[in-house]
Amino acid sequence: MNVFRVFRRTAVPLASYYAVTLALPLANGAAESGPAFVEHALAVLIVPPVVIVFACAVHTIRRAIWGTVWDLGT
Amino acid sequence: MKTKLAVVAATLLIVWGLKRHYSDARADDLWWILTPTAHLVGVVTGATFTFQPGEGYFARDRLFLIEKSCAGINFMIAAFGMLVFALFHRIWSVTSAARLLGASLIASYLAAVAVNTARIALAMWLAAHPAALPAFNAADVHRLEGIVVYFGSLVLLYELVQRLDRRGCSVTR
Repeated sequence: MNVFRVFRRTAVPLASYYAVTLALPLANGAAESGPAFVEHALAVLIVPPVVIVFACAVHTIRRAIWGTVWDLGT
Repeated sequence: MKTKLAVVAATLLIVWGLKRHYSDARADDLWWILTPTAHLVGVVTGATFTFQPGEGYFARDRLFLIEKSCAGINFMIAAFGMLVFALFHRIWSVTSAARLLGASLIASYLAAVAVNTARIALAMWLAAHPAALPAFNAADVHRLEGIVVYFGSLVLLYELVQRLDRRGCSVTR
């Protein structure tokens, strides 16, 4: 599974998630709350791409194992 | 073109209205989303939630409170904007525009209730099993779980809508 293709495919949900969790609070002055918002923003920024990469890795490993089992079976 | 601009304006207005309502509302004012969520969480987990005025829904047996910040309004806003964007090409008349806005609003509400139910049920399970993720403290686990469930659900909802949209296009052709 191509990670870049998956990122392109999830771009709309990712953008909409970032808009609501980062852009809207920033527009409402959430940055003034200091470290609490920075901590929240870092988690919100980093976790979704990590989830995408992790899901791609699991999918690739699953396909590799399933492919091997399939090859042995035939 | 005018209709599409009107849809963009209406979408922004609805998003702003929801956000405004959410920031001004007390837990009691969010009954329209907290009540079905609390009932569904009760069905899924077997916990008994009772309404506490000014606080939200409380399960005494699990010591778990579904409060204002658990309402899932932010997810609903994200899902609504995403659905309008994903199906924007389906606007060709005022009627289709109204249908798109109405359907996106209803779908985002239903998705918010369902996804929030799953998130709260999982949060209750994680709270009861703190050893499941020993490397993180309770607040980190709650935050991590929220991000994964909400973002993952947005991706699934988008995929579902794309598939239905493709199927709809092939049927109308």
